[in-house]
This record gives sequence, structure tokens and C-alpha cells, in this order.
Amino acid sequence: MISGYLITILITILIYAMLAHSLNLITGHAGQISLGHAAFFGIGAYSSAMLYTEAGFPFWISVPLAAVVAGIIGALLGIPCLRVRDDFLAITTMGINFVVEAIFLYIPFFGGAMGIGGINLPKWFGRDMTKPEYFFIILITFGLLLLVDRQLGRSWIGLAWASIREDEQAAGAMGVDVVRFKVLAFILGSAIAGLAGGFYAHFLTFIMPQNFGFGQSIVILCMVVFGGIGTRWGPIIGAVILGILPEISRPIMEYRILIYGVLLLAMMRFQPGGLLGAESILSRTFRR
Amino acid sequence: MTLLEVKALSKEFDGLRALDGVSFAARGGEILGIIGPNGAGKTTLFNIISGIYPPSGGEINFEGKSILRLKPHQVSRLGIGRTFQIVRPFQNLDVEANVMVAFGHRVYPSLWKSAGSVWQPEIQKEVQDLIDRVGLRPHLKQIAKTLPLGFKKRLEIARALALQPRLLLLDEPSAGLRFEESLQLMGLIRQVCDQGIGILLIEHNMHVVMDLCKRIVVLDHGSKIAEGSPEEIRSNPLVIQAYLGKEA
Amino acid sequence: MLWQQLANGIAIGSVYALISLGLTMVYGILRILHVAHAGIYALGAYVGLFSFKLVGNFWISLMVGMAGAAIAGYLVERFLYTPLLHLPRIAPLIVSIGLFTALEEAFRIVAGPHTLTYNARIGLGDLSIGSFRLTETQILILFITIIILIFLWAFLTKTRTGLAMRACAQDPETTSSFGVNVSAIIAINFIIGSAMAGAAGVLIGVYDNQVWPTMGSIPAYKALAIVVLGGLGNIPGTVLASIVVGLAETFFIGVLAIPFPRDAVAFVAMILVLMFKPYGLLGKA
Ligand SMILES: Nc1ncnc2c1ncn2[C@@H]1O[C@H](COP(=O)(O)OP(=O)(O)O)[C@@H](O)[C@H]1O
Ligand SMILES: [Mg+2]
Repeated sequence: MISGYLITILITILIYAMLAHSLNLITGHAGQISLGHAAFFGIGAYSSAMLYTEAGFPFWISVPLAAVVAGIIGALLGIPCLRVRDDFLAITTMGINFVVEAIFLYIPFFGGAMGIGGINLPKWFGRDMTKPEYFFIILITFGLLLLVDRQLGRSWIGLAWASIREDEQAAGAMGVDVVRFKVLAFILGSAIAGLAGGFYAHFLTFIMPQNFGFGQSIVILCMVVFGGIGTRWGPIIGAVILGILPEISRPIMEYRILIYGVLLLAMMRFQPGGLLGAESILSRTFRR
Repeated sequence: MTLLEVKALSKEFDGLRALDGVSFAARGGEILGIIGPNGAGKTTLFNIISGIYPPSGGEINFEGKSILRLKPHQVSRLGIGRTFQIVRPFQNLDVEANVMVAFGHRVYPSLWKSAGSVWQPEIQKEVQDLIDRVGLRPHLKQIAKTLPLGFKKRLEIARALALQPRLLLLDEPSAGLRFEESLQLMGLIRQVCDQGIGILLIEHNMHVVMDLCKRIVVLDHGSKIAEGSPEEIRSNPLVIQAYLGKEA
Repeated sequence: MLWQQLANGIAIGSVYALISLGLTMVYGILRILHVAHAGIYALGAYVGLFSFKLVGNFWISLMVGMAGAAIAGYLVERFLYTPLLHLPRIAPLIVSIGLFTALEEAFRIVAGPHTLTYNARIGLGDLSIGSFRLTETQILILFITIIILIFLWAFLTKTRTGLAMRACAQDPETTSSFGVNVSAIIAINFIIGSAMAGAAGVLIGVYDNQVWPTMGSIPAYKALAIVVLGGLGNIPGTVLASIVVGLAETFFIGVLAIPFPRDAVAFVAMILVLMFKPYGLLGKA
């Protein structure tokens, strides 16, 4: 039997992998810098929690709805944001993160600093789901998302995103509706982050605004960058490595943030493509 | 038949008049030369036609319809392709994908169709035929940033042709090319024109312009100072002065 | 009451200006969002505080704090940013975030997690007119900010280096073709911007009588919002936006007592302004 500790770590890493994957859609595929991804993670977690505890929806409805809510808010915020110049987008998304966190923290409706409790693991077959079962539910969902991602990678949408990432103006001159495809990436990325938030809320059973602050956005970004921005498996590998690292040794746990910071810095300085990037040591070695 | 009609077009940047009441018309199957000293406003003219900047005043009609308020992707879907003075291929995509992006103009309007796969045999064949036509077949899978300048310029033309345009805007296609390369490129441009596509050609090399174009528009300081056949332009005192004045 | 809030708002706004100016100057010349600038600001506070503990003189500690920040800024520019300029813009941004995070942790590890006091007095005393009161540190902040702003203005408009710097921000290629040493200009730009951030760090340290590892966190993001509000790279716009945010914070939170986090005001203002003026208050397309 898998220990409770191990399964907790596995589920956490899986949720981070889903988050890194969703940020990669926006930043890696479509090339739009987002520094506030945790906001949509939080919007998903809070929506799911409120729908479950206040409105009495079952898990099976509250979590998908959380993705929908995060996607809709992503669209509403994305449309004005994506019209501004690229550097403004980085700061605007950061600002969204601060404002969303402040709303959770200061508006009593969302439980304030105490957060929301009483969110449970789902039931099935007339009993509570066990943690290993929950893990597999998330794993299957993530697997399906990866299949969708593969199709996107081969589709005209993926090609349009690549062209926007390379050169927005040239893409426009080639018939690509730049704003529309950017917003699409923003919606999909936000919705998947919201879905991850729903899973997270039901797993933690209580959530607080601090879980979804700017620091969390940086952790997600770190995973994407570390593994290889724009690659399919890189962000997932980044989530796994950076998720396990603090667990295997106390000192690493102690200096986790320092290590993340230095890793981020060193990675970009010396290996900007990340572990799986086209020019990285790893992928060059494997190609030989 | 008039393909493109530009009327009293003006553009101001922060008080600088880059274009000042420029009017002309272009026809299908004709290469219209656009010349003028550096900073005359030629590239600005292209940027306005292709929807990158809104004009400060004037009208632009394409096939009888105004394209004044259209965004770049709408203009290109209507059938106006362009290249850039400083080449802008999608640097990290290969030649095939570069051209493929422009073929998407058929599916992009529908999100559902856009989710479909790019790699369909018919489309791949069309893309490869087009790449053949510009002579890049051996480089099909090469990443664009590794191509020499001459090939990048052809790639841009292939990409623009993938839009199946009726008007092509070429911004200094021969600049930076060796003599033989530019001859080949000119051959390609003539071929394109012979299919009935209208071409606006910005070009600094006077031999090329005089050779390819039956009609030429001359811009200077944002205004049109002359329009006519190569012979008329060559002997026009205003044109000579505009060019000499710049060098003095 | 009104005058008091006005004075408080302007005092806070001028510290914001000191931090944000360096950020906007760096953006103007390198097009980098220098998040780690606030790490330099905190570094300035720490260096200033330690030198204050050694010599016990506010003015010397201010100078040392500024110098420490300036050196750090120079090193960051040379060894982290300049080698990355050929990469997509996200690369230096990520490096900057990484550096900032690492700096905060380094402060915590080196100087300890607790808050240190920076109890510097220059013996000026507070100024009171009726119920209106300016504290000694407020006077100090206003005085020093004004001096620094005058120096900056004179430097940018009256000296050859300053003019070259502004030309560089407009068009580095043309400027270098005139024989200007662009790489030296960039270094000077960083040194000046960082020294100002260091001064802000010292001033806030004294004003709040607190220096702590994450004191840069909120300024980091707030300064970015201010810089965007002012129109990225626009120097007068940045000063204006700093004062606006300083005033908005004091009025909305202090006077109207709206239950909203003071530190999110800058972002709300930024998002609202960007909706209507996509290039900031004084920014141009
Ligand atoms: N985006 C812009 N912002 C400000 N000025 C511009 C812009 N684009 C072009 N200009 C100015 O407009 C004038 C015409 O430029 P351009 O059309 O590129 O000339 P040409 O292509 O004929 O050499 C120049 O003075 C140039 O500096
Ligand atoms: Mg030009």
C-alpha cells in the first residue's frame, strides 16, 4: 500500500504538472508572457470550493464548472490585456494576480484570511474516494489533456500560435487573427489552471488566499522554464524535478526558494531553452 | 481593371508627415514601381495598405471595396500579400511550416476547422508545389533562420503567394542580394505578374525598376512627385532633383 | 487633515519615484523589466543600515547605501543582462525574477529573518503648524528626493553623457554610429538608477525604522505598476505616476477607509488606466 505521505506528494506534483502544462500553452506555445497564472489556479479553486460548500454541487460538477469559470474570467481579462504591448502584458498579469489575491483576502464572501474549509474528496460507489483513486482520476484527466495538446500541436491553431510567437506582425500579414488566437490560448490555459485549482481544493479540503499568490505563479513559471519552455514534456519534467527536490532533503527544503531563484537565473543564463529545449545539453546528447 | 485605388492618403507620426495626400491606382497583371529616396514614405504606404497602421486621412479601395478599417489579417485574407523590407520569416519554423501558416487563411475564420490537422496530403502537396516554384524544394525542412538572405526573401514571397493574393506588395526584394540572385528573383516576380496578379514593387535598383515596370510612382517627403513610364520618370526634373537633393 | 494627507501622500510618492525612476531608465535603454531592481533597493537599505551601525552617521550611511546599490546594479547589468540581450525578451525577465527571489533569500540567510531597526536621527526635529505635522524623516525624504531629481534632470539635459543616454534610449544603433560608447552609457544608466534605488531603500528604512529581507517585495511590483502607469521608459511620466499612486493610497485607504489592501491600489490604477490609455498616462504609441 502506498503511504499517505507519498500519495500526497504524488498528487501535489501532478497538480503542478497540470499547472505548468497550462502555463506552457500561453507562454510556451503562443509566446505570451504571463506572470499571474496562480490567479486562475485560485479562481478555479475558489469557484469549485464555493460551488461545493455553498451551492451544494457535487465534486463531479463543481470541478468542471471551476474550469469554465476560470476560462471565462481568463477571456474577460485576456481581451483587454492582450491588446497592450508585450511588456505591459507581463506586468498586467502580475497585477491581476495581486488583485485576485486581494479580493479573496478582503472580501468576506470568499472567507477572507481564514479561507474556505469543508471541501471534501469526492464520493463514488457510495463511499469516499481514496487518495490513490483520486490520484488516478487526476492522472486520467491530465492524460486526456495531453492528447488534446498533441492534437493542438498538429493543428492550424498550433501553427498559428507558433507564428504569433515568432513574429506577431508577420503572422497578421499571413492571415492569422492575432488577438483571437492569443485570447484562445489565454482561455485554454486559464481553464486548465482552473481545473487544477478544483482538484487542488478538493484534495487540500481547505484553501486560503496565500495558496494563490504571486510566489505561486513564479513557482509554476520556474517549472516551465526549467523543463523547457514550449516543449511538450519539459514543463511536466520541470514540475516533477522541482516538486521532488525539496522532499528528498531537509536543507533543500530550507533553502527551497533560494534554490528556485538561483536555478531560474542559472538556467536562463546558461541554458535558456531549459532541460528539453532545442539547444540544451540533454537534447543535443540524445540526438547524437 | 483597377485592383487597388489609393486616394489622398496621409499619415502623420508625432507631427511628422510620412505620407501627404498620395493617390494612385494599380491594376491586375501589372508591376507598378514605387520609388523615392530613403524616408520618402514607401514602407509606410505598404504598412497602411496592409492594415498595420491606420491612416490619418484618405481612402484605400481594393476591388471596389474600402479596406481602410481592416486589420492586417483581414486585409491579407481579402487577397493582399506582402513581404517586408527587413525580412521577417518565422525564424524558428522550417520552410514548409512558414508557407503553411499562410495557407491557413482558408481555415482560420472557423475555430472548429482550425482545430483540424495541418498535415493533410492535399495541403502538403500545394505547399510543396509553391516551394518548388520559388526554388526552395531542397530546403523544405530547413529552419528559416539558417537560410541565406536570398532564400529568406524567396520564402517570404512563397508565403505571400500562399495567400492566393490578387495583389502583392514587395518591399525592396532585391536589396542586399548579389546580382545573379536578384536577376532570378526578378524572373520570379515577372512570372507571378504574368498570372494576372498585380504587384506594387518598392525598389532602389533603377535598372531593375526600369526593366520590370511599365509605370512608376515617385514619392518624396511623403508626397507623390511624379507618375509615368520609365522614360518619363527618367527625364523628369523633379525626380532628378529629389534624388540629387538627397545626396548633396 | 486634507493637507496632512497630501503631505503624507507626496512623501510616500517621492520614495516611489526614487525606486521607479531607475526601473524606467533601465527599461528605456535596454527594454528589460528589471524586477530585481527592488532587490537592489533592499540591498541599499541593508548596506546603509550596517554602515550606520558602524559609524552612526545618517549621511554617511546614505552615501554608502547608494554606493553599495550602485555597484550591485553595475554587476547585474554586466554579468546577467548584457549577455542575454540577444535572447527573447522573456529571458532577462526570468533571470531578473530569479535574481530577485535569490537576493531576498540571501538577505534572510545573511542578516536573519527578523526585522532590524534603522534608528537614524539627524536632530532636525519635526515641523508642526497647528494640527499639520511633518516628521523629520518626511522632511528628509522630500529634501533628498528633490535634490536627487534636480541632479537627474541636470544630468539628463545639461551634460553630454546625459544627452547621449537619452539618445541611446531613442535609438541605440544611430547613437553608437556617432561614436558614443553605448556600453558605457548602459553601465552609467544602471549605476545611477541603482544608486537612486539604494537611496530609497535607506530612506524607507529610516522612515519606517525597519529593514527586513522581503522589504523589496511590494515595491518590486508596485514600482512596475507605476512605471507602466507613467508609460514605460518615460521619466516625467514616472514621477507623475509615483505621486499619483502615493496620493491615491493615502486618500483611498487613509481618508475614505475603504477596506482594500493599500498595495493593490497601484495595480487597480494601472489596469484602469491601461483600459483607456494603452500606453500609460504620458506614454505614446
Ligand atoms: N512607426 C513609426 N513611428 C514614427 N515614425 C515613423 C514610423 N515609421 C516610419 N516613420 C517615419 O516615416 C518616414 C517614412 O519612413 P518609411 O516609410 O520607412 O520610408 P521609406 O520606406 O520610403 O524609406 C521616416 O521619416 C520614418 O522615420
Ligand atoms: Mg522602406
